[in-house]
Amino acid sequence: MCKENNHSPLQNREAKDADLPLEAAQTEVDGFDQVFDMQMNRRSAFKRITAGLVAGIGAAATSCSVAGSEKSAEKAQMEWEEYFKGNYKVMTEEEKKATVKRIEKSYEQRSGNSLSVSSKEATPGVLFGYAFNISKCQGYMDCINACVEENNQDRSTQMQYIRIHEIEKGHGINFEKADDNYYHEVPAKNHFYMGTQCFHCENPPCVEVCPVQATWKEEDGIVVIDYDWCIGCRYCMAACPYDGRRFNWQTPEIKESEVNKNQHYLGNRLRKKGVMEKCTFCIQRSRNGKNPACVEACPTGARIFGNLLDPTSEIRWVLENKKVFRLKEDLGTEPKFWYYMD
Amino acid sequence: MTKGNNKMLKTCIYSAFAILFTLVVSCQHKEGDAHSHHHGVMDKIEAETGKVDSIPISSDYLNEHIKKIVVDDGEHHFLIPERESHMTSFPCSKCHTDDLDKIQEPEKGKKAHWDIKLQHADISIMNCTTCHSAHNMDKLRTITNETIDLNESYKLCGQCHSGQLKDWKGGGHGKREGGWAPPRVSKTCTNCHNPHSPGFEPRWPSRLNTQKIIERK
Amino acid sequence: MKVLIQFIKDGLFTITHGRKSYHVWMSVLTLAMLVGAYCYYIQLDEGLAVTGMSDNVSWGLYISNFTFLVGVAAAAVMLVLPTYILKDLDFKQAVLIGEGLAVAALIMCIAFVVADVGGPANLWHMIPGIGTFNFPNSMLAWDMIVLNGYLLINITIPLYILGKHYMNKKANEKVYLPGVFLSVFWAVGIHMVTAFLYQGLQARPFWNNALLGPRFLASAFAAGPALIIIILGIIRKYTKFQIEEKTIKKIAKVVTVAAQINLVMLGSELFKEFYSPTHHSQSAFYLFFGLDGKGALVPWIWTAISFNVFATVILTFHKLRNNMNILYTACLLLFVAIWIEKGFGLIVPGFIPGSYGKIVEYMPSMIEVGVTLGIWAMGAFIFTVLARVGISIETGQMRYKK
Repeated sequence: MCKENNHSPLQNREAKDADLPLEAAQTEVDGFDQVFDMQMNRRSAFKRITAGLVAGIGAAATSCSVAGSEKSAEKAQMEWEEYFKGNYKVMTEEEKKATVKRIEKSYEQRSGNSLSVSSKEATPGVLFGYAFNISKCQGYMDCINACVEENNQDRSTQMQYIRIHEIEKGHGINFEKADDNYYHEVPAKNHFYMGTQCFHCENPPCVEVCPVQATWKEEDGIVVIDYDWCIGCRYCMAACPYDGRRFNWQTPEIKESEVNKNQHYLGNRLRKKGVMEKCTFCIQRSRNGKNPACVEACPTGARIFGNLLDPTSEIRWVLENKKVFRLKEDLGTEPKFWYYMD
Repeated sequence: MTKGNNKMLKTCIYSAFAILFTLVVSCQHKEGDAHSHHHGVMDKIEAETGKVDSIPISSDYLNEHIKKIVVDDGEHHFLIPERESHMTSFPCSKCHTDDLDKIQEPEKGKKAHWDIKLQHADISIMNCTTCHSAHNMDKLRTITNETIDLNESYKLCGQCHSGQLKDWKGGGHGKREGGWAPPRVSKTCTNCHNPHSPGFEPRWPSRLNTQKIIERK
Repeated sequence: MKVLIQFIKDGLFTITHGRKSYHVWMSVLTLAMLVGAYCYYIQLDEGLAVTGMSDNVSWGLYISNFTFLVGVAAAAVMLVLPTYILKDLDFKQAVLIGEGLAVAALIMCIAFVVADVGGPANLWHMIPGIGTFNFPNSMLAWDMIVLNGYLLINITIPLYILGKHYMNKKANEKVYLPGVFLSVFWAVGIHMVTAFLYQGLQARPFWNNALLGPRFLASAFAAGPALIIIILGIIRKYTKFQIEEKTIKKIAKVVTVAAQINLVMLGSELFKEFYSPTHHSQSAFYLFFGLDGKGALVPWIWTAISFNVFATVILTFHKLRNNMNILYTACLLLFVAIWIEKGFGLIVPGFIPGSYGKIVEYMPSMIEVGVTLGIWAMGAFIFTVLARVGISIETGQMRYKK
């Protein structure tokens, strides 16, 4: 039942310290910058300054490099289309399909492996909701591992969407008395555990503030990001009261063998540096009827997921029969993530 | 000249008010948008439940491989995985051909099922025969000496753990097989809990974020 | 057309010729800009990971400077208002300098925003019509409109006036006066909108208070004109441009009043945070006293507060204020104080403690400092060029010859 702990984090750390260059060489760099970085690194310092100046003026550095590289005409055109594609939110059905195809094709050219990127839309009559049983969570963090593997998060910075807070009993739900990076036998005496992630607010402040509408709430209630439309201003990060959003401070790295190839455009497809990302309730899974990876991985059944508009769903039963609450309810964000106790 | 200036000043003040007004109006508009005419998410759920008769997403394709039985207590109706066909030496009566007290031979050494360590309540409260029938090994036994199918072990567990049973039937306890989409197939008690030792063992978390330690120094 | 070419030629001549100290100044600025460009290149190449920012404190030095400079840009209005509307001729010489300063500050603002975003190549997504502009919901969208609009106004007005003077003609008030009126309202607008950028976030109680906007205005009208006083002092000393002491003293009065109002508001804010400290006062506690043994900002904020109080006290006494050297010192202190207070003293504590009480401090990296210095150097460079051309025209050195 419990997922096996495949790679001990401590072991990982030792490996990192010992042969960092080796590991870096093995790591397949993904995202857009892969091709360009290698060329740029060979440039002399003088050229660097010039390039910096050009970029400083505001020229689109990426598109310039595309034009200068010796790619086939087709590839260049594909990159061009990729750069100038519109916001996914306002694309037509055909445009979405073409965009998704282009990503699949470009990945195949890059890595030789095939990829499946979905553009599946929200289903009418579905509104996703989540409930978290504080009495049940034991702090094993299996959910985090499952999430990272499912959603292709950056391994080098150990990005994680989910945080499990170990909170001392006797102080109420006091996050100041909490630790979200514990490493000892759990459950620890006199402590309880509480998970946080993106709560997919019904009234999301992050969506309000985005200057380019790169993030929005889908019809089924999932708050998504178009990673290619995001300009990386991080205003949404400042606006989120729940620490639900993550930024790619550098180019995300995942070993080719670890990439989850079953992707959704708005979900776990590969990101690049300088853009936001976050939990999408595993949109690539949930829109196909599956549970998010965290729900599936939880060995204690502390995580309940389902359709809020289905009166027979478990999530509805929890809302109607348990004493539920949400975090920072006074802010009016209306999260679709409830906590309850046995 | 001054007269002209005054006029201009007035125009400017008016236009400033106009801008302010537009701002207020647009903010209100935004408010309406964000809530989609509901005060909170509960209102929205209430208003939109039942608007769509059935959704085309099903979890059937995820649970095809599972043999299921029905749980129906009038209020809840769902499926659980069938158990008996998965047990390696079922029916038990293949070996246990007679009543338990008749086949016990303590002088012969090790007892059957010696490897099972019972860690379920106090031994003075519960022993093997609290749940297993000594006379009909193929069935479980209630406290009132009724028999229960091994498939329906939840009925047995629910005798004491009535709270958990209620939560499980509703959906607040336990896990789903497959996914969230209907039809609901829930794991039964023994899919997660070892009935002989139902508690979860303490263990170490499956990860440590070393980057965060560096960050927070 | 011919005039335009001649204007550019004359302008280029003016900015490339000067005394030795001028050339040294411009070289230093160019060098700083090159260093900044190199740092920015590294940042582009490796990502924002080279800065001190993190998921915990996701805005740092760039946005701090952006916020402060919006104030400086808005302050140009303090000079425009009396000159054109109240017909106070004392300010007329200062006004071109003020508008030049606004232009330089605005370009710096935009540069800081560009430096801060993760995908500068994607900034075209913000262009209305081509991109999907989130208007009117996003305050950042508002800010982009008002900043660029203000930049446009502040370029066209002086350009028109200077252009006319360059051609030995008188500038027609009926043409530029509406623009001046507009810029008065616009200046208040840019600052309020920038304040709303922070004020509107319910996630950050440190910013989410109604006084933030007015305080932005008050501090801006102190720091901006304070900078103008210092610049006018330098211009008076090094150029033939006639600026009467009367003008500077009048601006000093503006600075004094604004600084006093700013102090009152600061007091009001401190009272609210510390008289009845709630969970939401944690950021203020962090800023002023430190939390859990972490207090990187404590020395900075107390420096700012003491400079602020000291300068305001000096400015309040007429005798002290009317002594030019004391005035310049007070203005410098005030400028530095507000740069700290409304720069990283405002932005960074908004993120500390984090959403779940974590205290992760922020320290800018060398790359970040390099880029910041580069942008400031760029601002100074632009301002120097603008001021030099403007002064040359106004003093009659640079005129169109048929």
